[in-house]
Amino acid sequence: MRRKASFFVILILLLSPFFGDVAFAQVQVRVRVMEASNVGSGFDSSLRDLHDQLGSLFSFSSYRLLKDEKVSLSLNQSVLLSIPPERSLELTLINQRRVTAEIRVKITRQGRDLLTTLVRLAPGRSVSIGGPKRGEGTIIIALSRLQ
Amino acid sequence: MWKGGGSVKSECSSISKLLEKYFDQEVTPKERSLVEGHLPDCPACRMALDSMQNLRILIKSPVEEAVEKENFPWVWEKIEKGIQRKERLGLWDFLKSWLDVTPLLKRKILIPAVAAAVILILITAPLLFKKTTSYPTLSVVEYVESETYNVMVYELETPQVTVIWLFEGPEEESSTS
Repeated sequence: MRRKASFFVILILLLSPFFGDVAFAQVQVRVRVMEASNVGSGFDSSLRDLHDQLGSLFSFSSYRLLKDEKVSLSLNQSVLLSIPPERSLELTLINQRRVTAEIRVKITRQGRDLLTTLVRLAPGRSVSIGGPKRGEGTIIIALSRLQ
Repeated sequence: MWKGGGSVKSECSSISKLLEKYFDQEVTPKERSLVEGHLPDCPACRMALDSMQNLRILIKSPVEEAVEKENFPWVWEKIEKGIQRKERLGLWDFLKSWLDVTPLLKRKILIPAVAAAVILILITAPLLFKKTTSYPTLSVVEYVESETYNVMVYELETPQVTVIWLFEGPEEESSTS
């Protein structure tokens, strides 16, 4: 009886990697909204980790942080954030495969869908969504999966 | 006279068949009374019964002496160990019994079991040690939908850069300014 139980425990341990995809946990995401422009110069200290990424892609001289929030995402539960200019950002954890979280990102304005995208974020990985104009600047939203 | 002698002889012959059963106390009550009624009148049957008794004593005594001398210490040792193990199974004993492979060897299933375990490990090892921190073949962006913007997705694996850029149309631009 005891040997049978031990055999099944070993079997389950050996097969557990096959069922790793179904394990879910909370996912921490940092949302930073910045205004990039060529008016003045400067780089907000809270955006230091994105400096290389942004600098290699864009030729803006100034990056100003407008919003910095950390959100915890649970499976299929949406988190809503208001972001400038007058837009809403909705994040929903759709799935989690091993360490990579599949997050649906929706940007709306007055109930109208402007953008829907599904991104896969591993810990430490960032994705930036940019383009909307705000005055003389451009809004860039950086979503970073925390470790 | 002849008739009577013949009758006693035939009774003695039938009783002698019962004597052994009587000696082993396996007779029925009827047979018992028959034998016990015959014995006082028949010295031959009494002698036969006495010899059975003497034979039993002759065999029984040395066996009993040998058993008393022997005392079977190894049997007791084994029984005592078994009782102690059942009474209080320590962590070490539990581990020893858990790791004990002798029953497996006896059943001749150790080799197939080890082979099955090795195959399972070989199958699962690549999954366990696979690097899962990045998706080199999969895009970070699964899909993008927008009715308002023209969208460009820019992705680089090294350095890890992913940008979704929205190009505003004239309608959107006028509403934001």
